[in-house]
Amino acid sequence: MGDLWIRGVSKRFDRVLALDDVDLQVNNREFFVLFGPTGAGKTTLLNVIAGIHIPDRGHVYLNGRPVDHLEPNERDVAMVFENYALYPHLNVFENIASPLYSPRYRQPKEVVRQEVMRIARLLDIDALLERFPAELSNGQRQRVALGRALIRRPEVFLMDEPLVHLDAKLRHQMRAELKEIQSQSLDTTTIYVTHDYREALSLGDRIAVISRGRIEQVGTPEEVYHRPASEFVAKAFGDPEMNVVEGELIEDSGRMYLDLFGQPRHFPVPGDLRNILDHHSSRAVRVGFRSKQIRFYPEDPEGKWLAGRVYSFEPLGATAILIVKVGDHSFRLRVSSEQSWEIDQPIHLAFDMDRAFFFSASTGKLLARSEERKGDVPWPS
Amino acid sequence: MKRRMLKWIRNLALLAYAAFALFPLLWMLIISFKHDREMYHTIFLFSPTLENYRVLFEKGDYIGYFLNNLWVSAGAVILSIVVGVPAAYALARFKFRGRESIAFTFLSFRFAPEIMVILPLFLIYQRFGLYDTYLGIIWVYQLLTLPLIIWVLRGYFEEIPPEIEYAARLDGYSWFRVFLKTLVPLIKPGLVASALLSFIFAWNSFTFPLLLAGQNVVTTTVAALQYLSSDTVHYGQMAAAVTISILPEVLLALFIQKHLVRGLSFGAVKG
Repeated sequence: MGDLWIRGVSKRFDRVLALDDVDLQVNNREFFVLFGPTGAGKTTLLNVIAGIHIPDRGHVYLNGRPVDHLEPNERDVAMVFENYALYPHLNVFENIASPLYSPRYRQPKEVVRQEVMRIARLLDIDALLERFPAELSNGQRQRVALGRALIRRPEVFLMDEPLVHLDAKLRHQMRAELKEIQSQSLDTTTIYVTHDYREALSLGDRIAVISRGRIEQVGTPEEVYHRPASEFVAKAFGDPEMNVVEGELIEDSGRMYLDLFGQPRHFPVPGDLRNILDHHSSRAVRVGFRSKQIRFYPEDPEGKWLAGRVYSFEPLGATAILIVKVGDHSFRLRVSSEQSWEIDQPIHLAFDMDRAFFFSASTGKLLARSEERKGDVPWPS
Repeated sequence: MKRRMLKWIRNLALLAYAAFALFPLLWMLIISFKHDREMYHTIFLFSPTLENYRVLFEKGDYIGYFLNNLWVSAGAVILSIVVGVPAAYALARFKFRGRESIAFTFLSFRFAPEIMVILPLFLIYQRFGLYDTYLGIIWVYQLLTLPLIIWVLRGYFEEIPPEIEYAARLDGYSWFRVFLKTLVPLIKPGLVASALLSFIFAWNSFTFPLLLAGQNVVTTTVAALQYLSSDTVHYGQMAAAVTISILPEVLLALFIQKHLVRGLSFGAVKG
């Protein structure tokens, strides 16, 4: 039930600039994902919103009113911590009930009991209410931490990598449950921090990609995946990460080609991009191909494709990661594990130039991408 | 076979140590029930008497010494807790210039032997009117009690993840309530242990009350000197006085034992 604006927030810890002039606008009832690598400043930003850290510059507004002067207990935000931060001397019931016992959110005893039971049933921990945190598994602790936040009706929920310490199976299950809870009973603004791109794409209404304290891009999952603002964003989403190579734009008999590995005829630039690329100051660009945009063949009778050699083949169940070396450059491809490849086997690559991403070689910003075709959504939804 | 031998040897060693540690106490207890005339016989068969205890309490001033000791020791420990708990928190949580130097300074209170600092202290106490006052003794006992409490509790505070504090703040509690309701329960084992140890240090202190107090604040340790008269030593009365004076320590330790549990803070965060 809250609009959250962050305006020009910077925060420095000793010599590390954790947040660098961050601007964000999170809408009411939005599930907003903060995505970025470890150390990008995600947790710092959450702590600034919660009032735990005071920003060096900038302001935080909740429903249009500045909250900079409010203490954490006065801000009406609830937070799930990465390490759960349960109270070890209180049992599960008391942990979950803690907000409702506090001077600020106090409720009558009977209401507290009912609410704790409701939340505990929702999270399937109603059998554990008498236990202490030390007697719980990590998955159960995580649910208790979630329950302590969910029992309130705050303006904003802050969730700091709540699933990161769970094992893969449980994480998957909890992700589905979280989505369920979010759509059914959690019509509150939620800011969710993660460094798992699948989690970001599957949970977020919008995603803010953050790197070294700066916001790289804010957009819907489709936008950040299909129109990444920069090479950094493009590489962050997808596994194996996008293959990016450096090349030069050249003109040949009225058409534009990309000179990669000295073989420009394999890389015609799509017509609709020409205009944009013509206006780019430099001829040097970086071009990205997702794994799906590179087809590969063991034979090349007509000499149409780019020749390379298999560097490694790593089966992962149904799929496998194939690394192909062309010259000094390696391409990572997700392939079916049914066909196996020998090391050093010749392989021929065909690049789908209509779906390539063109980035500036100097700034890494996206220059152009041909009209994207939907349907290559990489995540289950 | 070898393991059983080792176990036997270990138990024997422990038994020997127990005898070594406990025999003096037992001997003291026996002496306190002996007549002066049987004092020098090292026999365990004697006619027990309460004479020593009767003399002790008949004169009445021993109870006064006992209470004196209780006031100054308890006062010193309480003052140390009031000052030391916030100090330990600050040293554990906040980054500030000279943090380690300050922490080290507290520890250095215990470096010099008491007898080395007693002369300047004596002069200062005379000048400031602290000589032979309860406040003065409680004050000087901080040298014994404060470093211990600060250093033990600092470790406990450092073990508590700051996220627990943040979580409690966000749950709607003010900082002070978080401190009392969340942090103090978590440091309780350390608090109890260090307070008990400090109390024992203060209770058994001899040099400070001997030299910094006169007739007003006589503690049991100093009072024990009275039984050394010029012609004879009243071992029986001395032993009775000491036996009574260790009672508070023993009782406190027994009562507090159940609070001396470690590991309460486990399970707070990811394991």
